[in-house]
Amino acid sequence: MDINFSKEDLQFRDELREWLANDYPKHVKDKMNKGEHLTRQDMVDYHKALSAKGWMGYNWPVEYGGTGWSATQLYLFNKEFGLAGCPPLLAFGVSMVAPVIYTFGNDEQKKRFLPDILDFNTWWCQGYSEPGSGSDLASLKTKAVKDGDHYIVNGSKTWTTLAQNADWIFLLVRTESTGKKQEGISFLLVDMKTPGIEVKPIITIDGDHEVNSVFFTDVKVPAENLVGEEGKGWTYAKFLLAHERFGIAAVGASMRALNKLKEVVSALNNSDLDKKVAEMEIAISALEMTELRLLSELENGGHPGAESSILKIKGTEIQQGLTEIFVEAAGEYALMYPGAGGYGSNDKPSGPEHAAVSLERFLNFRKTSIYGGSNEIQKNIISKFVLGV
Amino acid sequence: MNLSYTEEQVMLREQIQKFCETEYDFYKREDVVKSDKDFDENAWSLFAEQGWLSMPFSEESGGFGFGPIELSVLFEEFGKSLVIEPYLANVVLAGTVLDKSNFSKKVELIEAICSGSMHVSLAFAEPANSYDYFKSNTNISDDNKLNGTKSLVLNGKNASKLIVSCIKNDSLSLVLVDQDANGVSFNSFRTVDEQTCAEFIFENVSVEDSDIIASGDEAKKLLEEAINLATLCVSAEAVGCMTSCYLKTVQYTKEREQFDQPISNFQVLQHRMVDMFIDSELAKSLLYKAMLEVDSNSDEKFKHVSALKAHVGKFGKLSAQNAVQLHGGMGVSEEMMIGHYLKKMVAIDAMFGNADHHLKAFSK
Repeated sequence: MDINFSKEDLQFRDELREWLANDYPKHVKDKMNKGEHLTRQDMVDYHKALSAKGWMGYNWPVEYGGTGWSATQLYLFNKEFGLAGCPPLLAFGVSMVAPVIYTFGNDEQKKRFLPDILDFNTWWCQGYSEPGSGSDLASLKTKAVKDGDHYIVNGSKTWTTLAQNADWIFLLVRTESTGKKQEGISFLLVDMKTPGIEVKPIITIDGDHEVNSVFFTDVKVPAENLVGEEGKGWTYAKFLLAHERFGIAAVGASMRALNKLKEVVSALNNSDLDKKVAEMEIAISALEMTELRLLSELENGGHPGAESSILKIKGTEIQQGLTEIFVEAAGEYALMYPGAGGYGSNDKPSGPEHAAVSLERFLNFRKTSIYGGSNEIQKNIISKFVLGV
Repeated sequence: MNLSYTEEQVMLREQIQKFCETEYDFYKREDVVKSDKDFDENAWSLFAEQGWLSMPFSEESGGFGFGPIELSVLFEEFGKSLVIEPYLANVVLAGTVLDKSNFSKKVELIEAICSGSMHVSLAFAEPANSYDYFKSNTNISDDNKLNGTKSLVLNGKNASKLIVSCIKNDSLSLVLVDQDANGVSFNSFRTVDEQTCAEFIFENVSVEDSDIIASGDEAKKLLEEAINLATLCVSAEAVGCMTSCYLKTVQYTKEREQFDQPISNFQVLQHRMVDMFIDSELAKSLLYKAMLEVDSNSDEKFKHVSALKAHVGKFGKLSAQNAVQLHGGMGVSEEMMIGHYLKKMVAIDAMFGNADHHLKAFSK
C-alpha cells in the first residue's frame, strides 16, 4: 500500500494550484471568499476562464476536446478546486448533457452542441423532475407528440436549477404512454427561446432564487433534436445520473469549510462545539479515505459500484453538519437572516462576519440530501445492490 | 497511490480466515469459555506453528518484521470470529515493548513468546490514573523494592513474567518481574468479552537493576508506541466485528420470516442495515489511514489512531446494538454469537481510552 500520489500526479496538482493562484478570476474569488452570491456574468467569466485553459472538458475523452484526465487527476481537480473555495462547476452542460450527446448523439448533434459547451457559449439546464415525479422519475408525464418533422411538447418541469439563466434545456419526455413506463421516455434538446416556454421562479427557504418551474405549452421542437432513439431516454438518463456522481463527496469543499469553522470555534472556548468539530473532522477523514479507496480500486481496473452511494450520503451529511455547527457557533446572531429580500437585504448584519451567512447556508444546504437521488434512494440502492436484500 | 493489499498480505488474511472458519467456530470457543481454561492451548500452539506469534518482531529478534498493516489484517479477522487467545497481551503489548528496547534479555524472552512456551504481560494501568498511562503511583524505592497496584493486566494470570511501569528516581521505568516472586499477589477477573485480566499488588518486591528494561524518555516512548499499536489492533478487531455484524444481520433478516415474508423486505430494516454497512466502511477507511500513518511512523500516527478509536468506540457499539435489535429475541440470547459482538464492542471501547477520550486526544 502506498498512499502517496505519483510524481506526475503531484506535478499535475501543482499545475492546478498555479491556475488557482494566478488565473482564477479575482472578482469571483473575492465574492466566494465573502460568501456573496455570484451573478450570471460571474459564472460565465469563471467557466470561460476554465475553457481558456482547456479544462472545461475535464471529464471528457480527448477526441471530443476533453482533457482525458485519469480518475486520479479528476479527483485532484475536484479536491483542489474545493479547497480553494471555487464555485462548483455547472454540471448541466459539461458533465450531464455532453456525455449523453457524445455517447448516444449523431455527428450533427456533436458538431452543433459540444464546441459551445466546451467554450461555455451555451448555458444548459436540466428538465427531469416534474411536480408529480421526483424520486419516481420514470412516472414523468410531460408529453412529446410527433407532428411531421417536429415534436409538440406539453407539460411542466420543476426544481430546474438556474433555468432563468439557461439557453438550452435537456428534457425527458414521454413519447409513448402504453407499456412499461420506462420504455416510453425520450431525450430531447430544447432551445429555451422557443415560444411556449415559461420560466417561473421558486424561492427556496434560504430566500434565494436558484430553482424554477418550467412550463411547456405546445412547444415546437425540431425532430432532429431527439438524442439517440425514441423510447430509449431512460437508458440515457440513467447513464447521465452515473456521471453526476463525480465529485459528489465534496471533500475539498468540506475541508475548506472545516478549516474556517475551526477558526471560528477555537475563539469561543466551548468544549461542546469543540467536540462536534472534532467528530466532523474525523468524518471528513473517513470520507476522504473512502473516496481514495474507491479511486484506488478504479485505477487498478476495478469497477466500484453502488458503494459509491456512500460518498453521496456521507458527503452531503457532512456538508449539512458543517452548516449546522456554523449556525450554533453564531449563537444569537444566527437570527440575522438575510431576510425575505434575499441575500444582502440586511445591508450591515450585526455580529461576527461568519454569522452573516450561517443561517442562509444552513437552509440552502438542505437541498444536498434531496437532489441527485435523495439519500433515502441511495440507501435503497445500497440495500439492493450491495447488501442484496 | 495504491491502496491494495500486497499478495503476501492477502495470503496472510486467507490463512487466518481458513483457521477461523475451520478450527474456530463459536461453539468450540464457548466450550473453552465455559471451562476453567482462559484460552485454547491447541490454538495457541497452532498460532506459534503458523508463525503468527512472531509476526511483528524484528528479524534480529527472530521475527518476521511485519508491520501494523499485517497486524491489522490479523486482528480484523480475529474480530470477525471473536478470538479470545491472548495475542494482544503477549505479542503486541509485552512483545513489542521488548522488541523495541535495548534490554539485554530480550532475545530469549521474545523467542519464548514466539514459541508459545511463555506468557508475558504488560502492567501499565493503575486504578487511580484512568487512561493516563504515563502517570504512576507504583515505584521502586532507593533500596530496589517495588510497591504499588496495577490494574487490568491483560492475561496476567497466565503470564509468568510481567513488565511493570513504575517510577524510579523520579522517572518512568519499565521493569521485568516474575509473577511468582515474593511480594507479588493478584486477583484474576473474566472480562465482558471473555478474556481475563488481573489486578496485581506489589509489596516490597525485590528488583535488580539488570531487570530494568528502560527508563526515562525511552520507557515512555516504548510504552506510548506499544499502546498506540495495541489501540490500532483492537480498533482493527472492531472493524472486523462491524463487518460481521452487518453481514450476519443481513443473512438473518433474509431467513427470518414474519407476516409471511422475510423481514429483510421491510425498508426500515434495510435502511438500518445500510447504516451499519456505511459505518463499517467508514471505520475501514479510518483503519487504512491509521495503519498507514503508523506504518510510515509519521508525526500524525497518534492522532489518526485516535480518530479511528473514537469512531469505532461510538459506531462499533451502535452497529452491534443494531445487530442485536434486528435479531430480536435471538439477539439477546447468550447462546447466539451476535450478542457477543456487542460485548466485544463494549470491551474495545473501554480499552486504551474510550471514544470521548480519543476525541479529545484527536483535537489536541
